[in-house]
Amino acid sequence: MSQTQIPAPASEAPETAEAVGTTEFLTEAAPSRRRRPPWVSLASYVVTVFALITFNFAIPRLMPGSPIDAMLAQGSDTYVQDDQARGALAEYYNLDQSIPEQYLHYLGGLVRGDLGTSIDTNIPVTEELGGRVGWSFLLMVTGMLVSIAIGLPAGIHSGWHRSKRADRNLLGLFLTLQNLPIYLVGAAAFTILVSKLGLFPLGNATTLNAGYTGFAYLLDVGRHLILPGILLGLDFATYEFLVMRSSMVSELGSDYLLAGRAKGLKQRRLKYRYAARNALLPVVTVIGLQFSVAITSIIFIERIFSYPGVGGYMLLAIGQRDYPAMQGAFLVLTVTVVTVNLLVDLVYRRLDPRTAA
Amino acid sequence: MKVPAWLRGRPVLAVGLSIIGSFCFVALFAPWLAPHPATDPFGENYQRPSATHLLGTNDAGSDNFSRLIWGSRTTLIVVVCATTMVLVIGLAVGLTAGLRGGFADRAAMRVVDVFLGLPILPLLIFIAALAGPSLTVSILMIGLFTWPQTARIVRSQTLTLRQRGFITSARGFGAGPLYVIRRHLVPSLGPIIAANLVFVAGLSVAIEAGLAFLGLGDPVAVSWGSDLNRALTNPQILIDLLWLRWLVPTGLALTLAVVGFTLVGVALEPQFNPRSNRAR
Repeated sequence: MSQTQIPAPASEAPETAEAVGTTEFLTEAAPSRRRRPPWVSLASYVVTVFALITFNFAIPRLMPGSPIDAMLAQGSDTYVQDDQARGALAEYYNLDQSIPEQYLHYLGGLVRGDLGTSIDTNIPVTEELGGRVGWSFLLMVTGMLVSIAIGLPAGIHSGWHRSKRADRNLLGLFLTLQNLPIYLVGAAAFTILVSKLGLFPLGNATTLNAGYTGFAYLLDVGRHLILPGILLGLDFATYEFLVMRSSMVSELGSDYLLAGRAKGLKQRRLKYRYAARNALLPVVTVIGLQFSVAITSIIFIERIFSYPGVGGYMLLAIGQRDYPAMQGAFLVLTVTVVTVNLLVDLVYRRLDPRTAA
Repeated sequence: MKVPAWLRGRPVLAVGLSIIGSFCFVALFAPWLAPHPATDPFGENYQRPSATHLLGTNDAGSDNFSRLIWGSRTTLIVVVCATTMVLVIGLAVGLTAGLRGGFADRAAMRVVDVFLGLPILPLLIFIAALAGPSLTVSILMIGLFTWPQTARIVRSQTLTLRQRGFITSARGFGAGPLYVIRRHLVPSLGPIIAANLVFVAGLSVAIEAGLAFLGLGDPVAVSWGSDLNRALTNPQILIDLLWLRWLVPTGLALTLAVVGFTLVGVALEPQFNPRSNRAR
């Protein structure tokens, strides 16, 4: 475990420190994951998922008032006055059972992929989510691709020209970008580029009722994807940039670069083929670990652009006080993040021969 | 004016501190600085900027400029409370883990690992939605979910310090654990914790505003985040440059506060945190 190691003295921390420090919560997780055996990661994963499921089950029941009360509260769409009907509903949702019984019931439902039925639409939550996971995934992948296209070259360039003007400018730019909350940037972009200038379509993932097919449909999806994708990409790129840069800087003094230079290799080749290639490994971890942070940004972007993904669905469900929908979306989001973290952990072991157990 | 020695040649720190300083000043003296109360309506809504209403009025006819000033107060309350919570929990867990070692350490670090792997925002949204939006809930949630980082830093520093001679000799002279913590550990840990807490503070500003932006903030509190949400969901926002005097100033205020904390954090980090180069 890295925590038991004695940290390097401060004097050895090069000026990369400032860049890494701000992405601390991302890079911090990496070393600790590195040296523990895979079964610990797996066990930790199982515990976390179980905790999330239990949490998802318990929180609504711990809150004051029963879910039924909230659902049938006066003024809500689903208000019911009749006591008998209330009793029937409580029975339908198994709320007349004891808590342990309810819990078992809930776990049994999960195993069968049953997340309950949306109160708002009366469609099974699994079905509702199924149609949205794809959109969220598309958005996420687009964001990741954009961020790799922006963050990595910028990081390589910045690191290679450390402390020069180009580096300082890029560093300043990305640090600023990192500090702007995504909802602010998103809101500003939406207001100005979409609403004011009409450069991009007004929210949603496709033009509703347009009946596009084939290529026209793809084009339509693409048009709706551009702005949210770029915004997410810029957001993700900041982390990749900072890690790529500091990783690059740490390669600068290497012997192999000196040897390459002595051999008369071109700068370009040294920069991209030699240094960047070696510096890439930590970045791979960050791209994976970024997922849990990315989910945050995706929720905001989906909300701002009314994108029909899981995050937006969760917020809609909250607005409707639609408990099953809300819980289902929450569970899908959180379990996905935790699962991706585990996968990154396992993949990293394979990538880095030093950590292969 | 003479620049103090510790600030000389450190423009980032100076800028950051002055931003935080003015932010705290505005928050503390809001009642005297704001020309109007934040919530009372003043005649017509959507008024254009005038001498009485520097930034015009919003949808409810409240003074935009005053809301901007009062909003800093809400933010400051969240920052102070959440950061204090993180400090207390992080210090308690980190010190216990670092000093006791053994099972307590392993258990604490497992919990920290689990917390660090959790996606914070969905959790916060979920709880805020179920518990009902209020400032207390926001503060509690931010505090409860951001301490693991602090605990980890405290622990690793404690472990290093424990190896140093002065703690062993203090223990050898019969000093109790509490004395060692108070006399030796806290002073040596202080700067590192401070640097970390500044980041936590910036994070809590962003989280509080984010929750409010999603409509999960305190409905009563005057918050920049909920003002952003209100402005953005308002269909009138694009008419008559309303966004320029409502959306933009609120966004700028929020950004400035976050940037202020980050600048100070960035300036403090390399100096105090020897683990900054751990990514390699």
